[in-house]
Amino acid sequence: MSGLPAAVRVSPLIKFGRWSLLTLGVVYGAFHQGRLSRKEAAFREVEDKQKAIRDAKVAEEKKRAAEREIAELEALAK
Amino acid sequence: MSKLIAQAPALANRLAAQASPKLQTFWKYAKVELAPPTLADIPEIRAGISRLLAAARTARWKEVPVREAWLNSLVTIEVLCWFYVGECIGKRHIVGYDV
Repeated sequence: MSGLPAAVRVSPLIKFGRWSLLTLGVVYGAFHQGRLSRKEAAFREVEDKQKAIRDAKVAEEKKRAAEREIAELEALAK
Repeated sequence: MSKLIAQAPALANRLAAQASPKLQTFWKYAKVELAPPTLADIPEIRAGISRLLAAARTARWKEVPVREAWLNSLVTIEVLCWFYVGECIGKRHIVGYDV
């Protein structure tokens, strides 16, 4: 273990740049994540409301189509 | 499974005993190379920044050998990439945002 090369003395400017960019990245990541999740939550709310309306319409359509089919079948059977 | 849990402390001890020389060498290098800059380095940092700005102003960068320019660009790219590492840590997801 005595044949290990000596540790490289990294220039303080490079160390400062690395660590400051790292912390900046963490802060930016957290901030952007919060901003995007808030936007997505708002969009999801609107989307859910629209989905409820759309589901009601589709159910209505299906009911009407089923009733029409039953009426036609009865007319055929008569 | 219960035997594994019973052996866990012994395994942990063995792991620590095996890993500690490697950990020690890692720590020896990390203390010098990976340590964050201290307050005492501020004058050096400022000198470095002023040297960079002066070199940019006096167009000394046109006279730098290609090998040095290549190495400098590699180091610059590596330093800039730490921003993205930090962003991955901040958003707590590797690729993309998890909304």
